[in-house]
Order: sequence, then C-alpha cells, then structure tokens
Amino acid sequence: MKCFSRYLPYLFRPPSTILSSSCHAEADIISTVEFNHTGELLATGDKGGRVVIFQREQESKQQPQRRGEYNVYSTFQSHEPEFDYLKSLEIEEKINKIRWLPQHNAACFLLSTNDKTVKLWKVSERDKRPEGYNLKDEDGRLRDPSMITTLRVPVLRPMDLMVEATPRRVFANAHTYHINSISVNSDYETYMSADDLRINLWNFEITNQSFNIVDIKPANMEELTEVITAAEFHPHHCNTFVYSSSKGTIRLCDMRASALCDRHAKFFEEPEDPSNRSFFSEIISSISDVKFSHSGRYVMTRDYLTVKVWDLNMENRPMETYQVHDYLRSKLCSLYENDCIFDKFECVWNGSDSVIMTGSYNNFFRMFDRNTKRDVTLEASRENSKPRAILKPRKVCVGGKRRKDEISVDSLDFSKKILHTAWHPSENIIAVAATNNLYIFQDKVN
Amino acid sequence: MEFKLEAHRIVSISLGKIYSARGQRGGLKLHKNLLVSLVLRSARQVYLSEPCCPPEPPAAPRALPEEPPPPCAAAAAWAPGEPPPPPDEAPRGGPRRPGADCESARARRCCCCGCCCCEAGGGGAAPPLPCCSRKRGAGERGQAGSPVKKPRREAEEPPPPPPGEQEDMETGNVANLISIFGSSFSGLLGKDPPGRRRAPRDGGEAAAAAPAEAAAEPGQICCDEPVLRTLNPWSTAIVAF
Repeated sequence: MKCFSRYLPYLFRPPSTILSSSCHAEADIISTVEFNHTGELLATGDKGGRVVIFQREQESKQQPQRRGEYNVYSTFQSHEPEFDYLKSLEIEEKINKIRWLPQHNAACFLLSTNDKTVKLWKVSERDKRPEGYNLKDEDGRLRDPSMITTLRVPVLRPMDLMVEATPRRVFANAHTYHINSISVNSDYETYMSADDLRINLWNFEITNQSFNIVDIKPANMEELTEVITAAEFHPHHCNTFVYSSSKGTIRLCDMRASALCDRHAKFFEEPEDPSNRSFFSEIISSISDVKFSHSGRYVMTRDYLTVKVWDLNMENRPMETYQVHDYLRSKLCSLYENDCIFDKFECVWNGSDSVIMTGSYNNFFRMFDRNTKRDVTLEASRENSKPRAILKPRKVCVGGKRRKDEISVDSLDFSKKILHTAWHPSENIIAVAATNNLYIFQDKVN
Repeated sequence: MEFKLEAHRIVSISLGKIYSARGQRGGLKLHKNLLVSLVLRSARQVYLSEPCCPPEPPAAPRALPEEPPPPCAAAAAWAPGEPPPPPDEAPRGGPRRPGADCESARARRCCCCGCCCCEAGGGGAAPPLPCCSRKRGAGERGQAGSPVKKPRREAEEPPPPPPGEQEDMETGNVANLISIFGSSFSGLLGKDPPGRRRAPRDGGEAAAAAPAEAAAEPGQICCDEPVLRTLNPWSTAIVAF
C-alpha cells in the first residue's frame, strides 16, 4: 500500500476571513472534482457556478522538484442562478458534475451541469493575436475610411498565453427534476444526463432534442418509492449503462434491448441485514455514487456507511464491502437531525482499479487496497500541510481508551466533510475537496 | 417506552424538515423529501404500535384501547412463511420490531403492516389482518387525482375505529398536516373511513389545529395519537411535487 508522501498543498481557495478563520464564502464550496483523461487537467466546480481548471506543469530539468505541480489554468463562470417563473423556484447555479471529453486537438471540452442545464465548454489557448487590421486601429476603434490609403494583410503576433472558455452547446429544458449525474458515452458522440426520475440521452451536436431512456416516474406520484441517484455509462460498451437508486439497488441497462430502458438487463441488490434495521435503514442504504472500474468488469457503489464493489456477473450480493465509518451507525439519529445523513459521498477508483477511495467527516478520507485488504484513513488539513510531508494515517477511537493520536467519535467535526475526490487516471495523484479548499496529493516514488 | 419517545422525536424532526424544505433555495429536493417521509412513516408506525406511556389519570381511559397488541396477535398477523417473533419479544423489540417483523425480505415497502397489525390488536378482539393486504395502501388507493381537503377530526378522540376501517388508516385525513403546512401541500388522497365521526370543516384551516388538540387534553404531547394516526406524510411530501 503506497503511502502518500511529498504532499504538495494547493490551497487555491483560502477561506475568507470576514469573521473568523472557520468562516468561508458559501459560493466557494467545491461541489465537484474531475481529472481529464490524461490527468494533465483537473477541473473543479463550486456552489457559485464557477469552474476552475488546473493544469499540471511540464517537467523541467531545471526545477525537478516542481515536476507535476498543478497551477490554475482557466477560470470561468459556467452557470448563473436562474429563476423558473412558472414554479416560482430559483435554480441553483451550483455545479453538480463536470465530465471531460477526450481531447482530439488543441482545445479541451468539458460538460458541466447544474440542477437543470448541461453545458458543453470549449477551453482553448490563444497565444497569438492578429495585428494590422485595415478598418480598425489597435484599440479596436473604427478608422475613418477616407483616411485609409493602403491595404495591408493582418499578421499574427505572439501574445501572452490566454486561456479562454466558450460555451459551445447549452442543453436545457429537458429535466423536470434535479440533475444528479452526467456521463459521456464511449462513442464520444452521445452522453446521458440523469435526474431523480429520468435519464436522457443526448447527442453533442443536437441541443433541442434528447431521448428519454429511463423513466421511473410513477403515474401517481404518491406511489413513488425510489429515485435515481447516480448513473454512468460503461467505459467500453457504448450500449451499456448503470444507474443506482435510493433503495440501494443498481440496474444495468442495455440500450440495444429497447428504446426505453425501463426494464433492466441486470439488477444488483444485497438483501438487507435484519439485525441492522433501524428507522434510518432506508436512508443509509441509498446509493450516493456509482462508478465503473476502468476495466469495466466491476461497479463500485457508495452508500452512507460503506463502499461496495460489485461484479457485473453477480447480482445477488457485492463482491466486496468496505466499512468507511461504521462508528457512525450508533449516531444515525443525531446525523439525521443535523442533516449529515443526507450527505452524498462520492467514490473513485485508482488507475489500475486496485485501490478505491472515498471521503468521510473531519476532513478524513479513506483508501482501501482491494488486493492487500489494507485500508488507511488520511486527513486533508492545513495543520499537516507542510510540503514534502508524509501524510500520517489517522485513527478514530470508537470506545474505551483513546490513544494519544487517536480522535474520538464525539470529537469529529461533521461540518468538515470530504464529499468529492478524484484520482489521476494513471498516476498516484489525488485531488481532495475539503469544503472550499482543494488538496492535491502526490505519491513520489523515487 | 423510550422507543416511543424517540419515535415521537423523530416524527417531530421529520415534520420540521419537510416544513423547512419548502423555503430552501433551488426548490424541494425530491430525494431528500422521499427519505424523510420514509423515516416519518417508520417512526409513526413505531409510535403508534409501541406500548403506551405510563398512563396518567386523565389519559388513562384513552390509553387503554391503545394497549399494545397481545404478542400473539402481532405474531399471528405475520405473512405466512415468516417466523413470528417469540411472544415476549414482540412488543418490546425496539423501534425496529413492529415495522421489521412484518416485512418480509422482499416486501421492503410493506411498512403498513406494522401499523395494521397493531391497530388490529389495539382494537381489542379484532382479528389479525393479513399482512400484505395493505402493502400498497398508498398506491392502490390512488383514484382521486385531484386535491381533496379532508374534514378535521374532532378534538375529542372517538373510540378507536373498528377493525374494518384499518385499511383507511394510512389514507386517513391529513387535516392536521394541511393546517400545519398551509396550502402548499395539496393532492392529499384518501377517503373518509366509514363510521368516523368528523366535524365539518370550514374553509379556513385553523393553524392551531394540532396544538389545539394537544391543549385539549392536558398531559398529551404535541403529536399525539390522533394526530399521528391521521398523518399521511407519504402523500404530502411526494405530491408536493
């Protein structure tokens, strides 16, 4: 199990110091983190509707120690707050998900979505500027045509690198309920967007139409028993996708079977353990995230207390179950009261599908090595954020005698939650979003 | 006893969440409200099925009809094939039991069963009802698509309804919920259980319905039995969409 060392803190969003060090602007809370397909770019979205993209520095011989640091590459406002006049509802600008498209030319494309609208953004570099226009001068003011006596051809001159983001497509008005997931198909021509009750399939080129491929809305809303919580396309099979539900089930669907994939091809559910039954059993079984492994053979799901790895060929129970923070099981009532039980944690695979990672409270995040069955709890905090420092494993004391560097369950800070994490597609670099701070950890094996 | 208190507390918290969700930015979150309504329903059933609080003199006559079902009644009401709990454990099993007992592994949403078994017991000599008859209580009913306002129950608690009306418990009037949440909640389905006495309801809901009921019976807690029995949180939270 690799230990994460050479910690390079990137605190790009320092908390605002209006009142106290613990106070921060709500708009700065990071709501999604995603590496692109090469890992060169890292995108974050926040509650204020902004997207910030980081780019990894190129390795240089002159400064080998700065190899692989991530710096801000581009910042833009993706979504603005909107108002639905018919329903008298405000539509939040919070970015729920970002997904990258694979890169084919110099420009990068990503999808970002809030509750209602998906947008395709093109991020491109400009390092040359045309000069020598005939009809306007260098400031852009129109020249008096009568003063023009010669013609010249504008030339491109170098300029400071400018990264600009332009919205290329806006996919709107297709979701009645709140969008929780987007997923790019492996055909790179289509993608899907999922809300609580429906999943729509889009073509990147067409914004005024989408196909509804899953609809679980009952004819009578009073019969509603479950909602869609996450959805993802298979990484290789463009006809296959999965979606998870609030009842703790996963459905795998094949788009070749029918146009409307209401009937699943496979249904994954683990029987409930009756000894664990409580008022909150249903809530904690709700799946908050579903992710295919890179190989496409497994699916990982996250519910409130566990992470489960499912084999696509075995529907009746998960292959592996990992306890993230089982010590919270006795505290469910308090967590219900303070709404923490509704927190939606995400989970990620590493590049080789051997390690899985997910977040917890008190700025802790957990990694599970599937091969050695070892796990570790790490903390993303300023206190242990010295450069090159090795992250020390943390431990939560559940009862009895508390050792020196353990923390007791009651001392956990439930306002510090790590919901969003990302893992570089091929290297051991992880990005961890702790409220409004982004931490990037690298494992330098020298 | 403490489970009943905890159940009541959870009911109060859940109602508070539903209420405060109305004003939040971005609109009602369907997922969260669904989960809250599930918790509310479980807690309500536990609350209604648990042994009553130690009876205080004014409440004693009321408390008696709502005695917990004799253990064998709860056990007998199980779906066929489910092993009944040991008799001495059934009423005591904690918040889990009444709802959990009646749930088979498959019938996860069979939450009504707990209520029905226990109400049957609470009626005294009522025969136990088949467990799954109310499995789709909320759904099968659903004929009326339009909002229907229910008349308010009388403040004076009538004797517990006869067993034949058990099916309508879940779909009973939601007058108190309406009064708490105002007109934002609509489309509350249900039909009047036959035989229940009701006071005719006037157009303006009394916002003090729930506290008034509570105040009418000293020593009663706010969400007392008649209020809870008439709640239909399932409808309200979901149909709000």
